[in-house]
Amino acid sequence: MKIAYSHLVQHIEENPSIKQISDSLFQLGHEHEIDGGIFDMEFTPNRGDCLSINGLLRDLAVFYTVDLNREVFTEKLSELLIDFQNLSESICPQISFLKLEIDEVPKIYKDSLGDYFEDLSLNKNNFFTDISNYLSYETGQPTHCYDANTIKGKLVFHEIDKNEEFETLLDKKISLTGKNSVFSLNHNVINLAGVVGGKSTSCSSNTKTAIVECAFFQPEAIIGKSVKYDIQSEASHKFERGVDPECHDKVLRRFIKLVSDHANIKDMSIISYKFKDNPSHQIPVNVKKINKIIGINISEKEYLNYLLKLGFVVEAGIIKVPSFRSDIKTQNDLAEEIARVIGYDNISTSKISIPNNEMTNHKAIENKLRFFLLDNGFYEVINPPFVNLSAEEAIKVDNPLDSNREYLRTNITNSLVDNLLFNERRQKDSIKLFEISDVYSSSNGINKKRKLSIIASGRLGENHTDFSKKINKKYLLTLFQEVLPNEVFDFKLISRDLLDTKIKNEIVSLEVDINSFSSDILSYKEVSQPPEGFAQYSPISDFPSSFKDISFSIKDYSKSEELQDLLLNYKSDIIKNIYIFDYFKNEKKKEIKIGFRFTFQSKKATLNSAEIELVYNEIVNKSLNISGISIPGL
Amino acid sequence: MPDHKDILPPKLIKDRGSFHPINHMKDSIMELLTSFGFEIVDGPEIETEKFNFDMLNIKKSHPARQMHDTFYIENKSNLLRTHTSPVQIRGMLEKKPPLAFISGGKVYRKDDDATHLPMFHQVEGIYVDKNVNFAQLKDLIYKIIYSLFGEEIELRFRPSYFPFTEPSAEVDILSKEGKWLEILGCGLVNPVVLKNCNINSDKYSGLAFGLGIERIAMLKHGVTDIREFYKSNLDFLSQFK
Repeated sequence: MKIAYSHLVQHIEENPSIKQISDSLFQLGHEHEIDGGIFDMEFTPNRGDCLSINGLLRDLAVFYTVDLNREVFTEKLSELLIDFQNLSESICPQISFLKLEIDEVPKIYKDSLGDYFEDLSLNKNNFFTDISNYLSYETGQPTHCYDANTIKGKLVFHEIDKNEEFETLLDKKISLTGKNSVFSLNHNVINLAGVVGGKSTSCSSNTKTAIVECAFFQPEAIIGKSVKYDIQSEASHKFERGVDPECHDKVLRRFIKLVSDHANIKDMSIISYKFKDNPSHQIPVNVKKINKIIGINISEKEYLNYLLKLGFVVEAGIIKVPSFRSDIKTQNDLAEEIARVIGYDNISTSKISIPNNEMTNHKAIENKLRFFLLDNGFYEVINPPFVNLSAEEAIKVDNPLDSNREYLRTNITNSLVDNLLFNERRQKDSIKLFEISDVYSSSNGINKKRKLSIIASGRLGENHTDFSKKINKKYLLTLFQEVLPNEVFDFKLISRDLLDTKIKNEIVSLEVDINSFSSDILSYKEVSQPPEGFAQYSPISDFPSSFKDISFSIKDYSKSEELQDLLLNYKSDIIKNIYIFDYFKNEKKKEIKIGFRFTFQSKKATLNSAEIELVYNEIVNKSLNISGISIPGL
Repeated sequence: MPDHKDILPPKLIKDRGSFHPINHMKDSIMELLTSFGFEIVDGPEIETEKFNFDMLNIKKSHPARQMHDTFYIENKSNLLRTHTSPVQIRGMLEKKPPLAFISGGKVYRKDDDATHLPMFHQVEGIYVDKNVNFAQLKDLIYKIIYSLFGEEIELRFRPSYFPFTEPSAEVDILSKEGKWLEILGCGLVNPVVLKNCNINSDKYSGLAFGLGIERIAMLKHGVTDIREFYKSNLDFLSQFK
């Protein structure tokens, strides 16, 4: 909600700066951003009472001397005759109607009404609606204006539970479904209560006689309607969070005053219905409890002084909660009020010591498995559970994000296959992934299994012994059985026939229940340590990579290390990865053959062959500077 | 010139994998909290409205319960938990105070854009004992934030609102760029919630806090797009060894 600094400060005696008010608002828990002279406020949902100038001033009153008195029409009003029936008193326990007739529609707005439209750069609508909008901004109470000439017949407030067509005053046609609280005129819906009025009865720029409706609706009846029907509604935002049920007379008298400031009122009358009393909430004064909750030590006098400034009334040891604070019900609620006023940051800390509990590590097996996989080059992934295919016993999401995410996965392997293909498309030729996750299914209730799934394909690894070997079932089985000789692993081959890929490497997978592992794994001694710090991420290039291999012949064995040092530490902006893919010592020929693979990729663009060639030639030249080294075939 | 036999083949560089940075972050935070005395409890990702909302004082009319915020399953009989808080409820029903639990894991909300994902991770903690107060909560939060971001970090507490805590606070840290970033939510356990778990709220009080793992991992690793975490891209994952 946007609130102008100037509209607040004119009612504050101390004349604080925008920065001072901003600091006060933060201390009180009202998050905001400042754009020019405008506070863009974001209130927590419990503070519907703050959604107005007066509401914010009531809260700021703990820090400043604020003036909440606005000029209102004070004379006696005659009773409005209206054929109204309330069939849902529990939803609308209180409602008033004010009828106003003016002689001329004013063209120019002055004072606070004029400032409102100008300072917040708002579009004007029609006179009565403009007053209503301003008043909602000033007081927090939404009102709705009907053109009085259209309200002929019986007006009924009720909750309906049938499909109805309804055209809003913003020319939007909506189909009401399910339960809706509405006003009907002669059985036609003319107003979706608390959300938006209808076109057929709305005021226009010619309207001279209006009926202003001012009501309290239970938040539960309004919540979700504006989202359901996709309507931007300031009124529903307020009703959903709760408005002050006791403000109607004051708000409507203020309405009259604003109209009379701009036009001659020819006739006016009012009627108020109160179907249920709003007993004020009462909490005993207990400063000891407040001190205990917060961990401070303030006097009762100081405590009550804060409450009085916030609009609470204290009588005979009882705190009466003001009608606009429907969020305050308990001592803890009051403690929060006091903590806000003192300032959360001003409350001293008090040393905490939590008695030590006996620790049991339920995830010991799972964690050992993770280390075992990590040591063997596997990367851990996490996939969302939503999939598009229904499997047997798959759980269906009632309200999926889209039809591709309608079911919960019943296996992890399919997610890993997608991850594998994704990485193959990014030219990865040695892929080992695993995921551990709960997997849910439904048969006679919801079943949960904690599963480990692994997938692997391509080269065994990026080094001279593993480069030319391919991952297969035997390799993985040996790997697992070396560590867990007493357990059986059912590795599976996944066919590539139905996959969108031309790569032929075998895909090996395993999916097992974590509970099926015995505690044998606990004796596994991990080689890797978890990372100590938090690596700084460097953004990934999405441009294609390409590689070049260089094979050297070394006659002077002593130069082998020098060459490795030079090449494995070679730095260039476009070199992404370097490793030795081949090594062979030929004792007969007294020669070492060693092959290096360089992967090139730029973060800025797709590399052309000339750019790669430039770096490649540099590598070759620097290598050949080492004596006793040659590149066969060069 | 050394003897030919002394020449060893190149050092065999075995590629080791990496833990997922989110799991690593979660594990680090859980380890930190267990060192403070918290015990780890686990709970299901599929929950009932009772545990996810009712017991936590989240009213039937609360916006979070709407179909556009929560994933419901099997004709609304169950839901995907929207936070790890129901685990605390299950813990409190099982054990008597004093108790100190943490739980961490996946949670789900019906969001999908550049800054919100339908699945993300939380770690939550609760401590219930005699005389637990807001000043102690502050002490604990300082300890957590200082451990995570170093003692030079500037932080602030702001009043906030959660149905299950009262008073409630949000905690921001000041980034290097001078921007306040929301880092966790916390508060004193609402006595209504204690009562719901059969704990005498006149005798006991509690504190609770919850952290979003992705947000902290993004800050610690310098990842700017949350979606990167879940692409399973080896170029990404290999940076977190």
